[in-house]
Amino acid sequence: MAALFQQIVNGLSIGSIYAVFAIGCTLIFGVLNIINLAQGAFLMVGACIGLEVALAGFPVPVALFAAILSGGILGALSEVLMFQPLRKRGGHRWMGLVASLALARVLVGTAQEVFGTQVRGYPPNAITGLTWEIAGVRIQAIQVLIIVAAVLLMLLLAFTLKRTSIGRAIRTVAFSETVAQIVGVHVGRTNLITFFIAGALAGAAGLLFGMLFNVVSPFMGDSALVKGLTVIILGGLGNIPGAVAGGFLLGLIEVFSAGYVSSSFRDAIGFGLIFLILLVKPTGLFSGFEERRA
Amino acid sequence: MMAVLDNFLLSYGNLVNLCLLNIFLAYGVWLALSVNMFTLGTGGFMALGAYSSVFLTMHGGWPFSVAVLVGGLLAALAALAIATPVLRLRGDYFMLATFAFTEVVRIIALNWDSVTGGAVGIVGIPQLTQTWQLAVLAAGALYFAYAVRGSYLGRAIAAIREDDVMSQAMGINVLGYRLSLFVSSAFVGGIAGAMAAHLNFFIGPSDFGLLRSIDALSYPILGGFDALLGPLVGAILTTILPELLRFSNQWREILMGLLVIGVVLFLPGGAMSLLSFKWRSRHRQSKLVLPDSVEQGAER
Repeated sequence: MAALFQQIVNGLSIGSIYAVFAIGCTLIFGVLNIINLAQGAFLMVGACIGLEVALAGFPVPVALFAAILSGGILGALSEVLMFQPLRKRGGHRWMGLVASLALARVLVGTAQEVFGTQVRGYPPNAITGLTWEIAGVRIQAIQVLIIVAAVLLMLLLAFTLKRTSIGRAIRTVAFSETVAQIVGVHVGRTNLITFFIAGALAGAAGLLFGMLFNVVSPFMGDSALVKGLTVIILGGLGNIPGAVAGGFLLGLIEVFSAGYVSSSFRDAIGFGLIFLILLVKPTGLFSGFEERRA
Repeated sequence: MMAVLDNFLLSYGNLVNLCLLNIFLAYGVWLALSVNMFTLGTGGFMALGAYSSVFLTMHGGWPFSVAVLVGGLLAALAALAIATPVLRLRGDYFMLATFAFTEVVRIIALNWDSVTGGAVGIVGIPQLTQTWQLAVLAAGALYFAYAVRGSYLGRAIAAIREDDVMSQAMGINVLGYRLSLFVSSAFVGGIAGAMAAHLNFFIGPSDFGLLRSIDALSYPILGGFDALLGPLVGAILTTILPELLRFSNQWREILMGLLVIGVVLFLPGGAMSLLSFKWRSRHRQSKLVLPDSVEQGAER
């Protein structure tokens, strides 16, 4: 029984990171109907810059803020310099995929040049070492911290989307760009804010990833991107509550299949699941909640 | 002095081989792209061809040509097996399904130690691939693309790309064409994988992942997939340029990325639109605007 709870705690802590990252990916898809393959690289940059700030002696919240800011700025820049010109020129949507992947390569190369190619970790401090043992379940303080931070970020995003004028604008553009223009929403600015939010979430997820596994490297973005794509398929493209549920679900599935089936086929089970979902219910597991793709 | 010359020729010959292989692969991907199938399955099909042919030549002692053919057929068979469900999907959903396929293949390759060597991969593969074989394959692919353009098949493909619902209404067997193009693309991928495996000394699971698939897609897209020579130009450019930028590993990645972004931003028709700009603007105006309607109905 303790083992079961242990798996659940582990699954939730990793799942919460997946959820934060995937919300960004799915938000961009919902608003602009594109998949930004550079999100994984934004995550990596967020992790690297967060680590630099933490190594400079600043507390974790400051590092998180730095990661969020760097990811967000990168996201906004990618929109201004790449995606927006591409849309204006009427480029085919494949161009966006190829360009976003090229951007990821540029960022990975730059990160190698700036931060070096070696794998780095956080210095041991009070938080990373602290663990509690409750009825045989080992809970690390870092896991609690990550889950709390992730849930706070998601609540903040939910509040922004539901209750603020920016959120209303984003939801309107997601519904229809034409309608948004008719009712006077500044579409270009809304797209920019969407990219900023998505990049910021990726940056935050990067810092949390780095802290949970204590591994930060310029190459961490690729595997994260694969996880993010998995989650948004599970949840349905453009479906934000679906991305949250899908993130936690993938975290739990991974931990349980590693614990009870085989750790080497952990990823295969995730992908088998994607394949199955795409075949049976391509709009995602949770599409019943929304009448249409956002 | 001779050693330096030999070394230079050795690396130069390798580059030629790589170019020819990528040209062949580029036309394989172009087959799928030509009816709006943005396939990320290429890496998976290449892995199937590579591992099966290596297994046959190294453990079965089969002749190289037969092993390559079996590799291609196996990839085509896999495509046929996943086609029924996957071809129902459109746009991004199709892309993600083929991506999942590639990842499943990669993970199987990573874990099936007895056949694939697991994470270590297979070392000591006999280098049976000859330059002339690759040249024949590339030329064959180019000729096929050329022959298709004027034929009924080419017209049907163009119609499906413009609007598949309309094509269906006009009596074109859309599913049949999509299926055969998908399977042929997988066959080419399998053959290319088998040739690539016997070109290098080594194959590992990470050789055939998402990046391989995207690289393969970027050849026709960067070259210009409307033009006959587009996939060829794209494959040669993206193979040779990294070699020219060899002075620094990281800078090579950065410059390649920037270059790709530049091409995408400033030459939306691909690199070939530089050469054929006048010709294109007179004859093929309508082709420049690709329909979004197909992608809009991504939900099927």
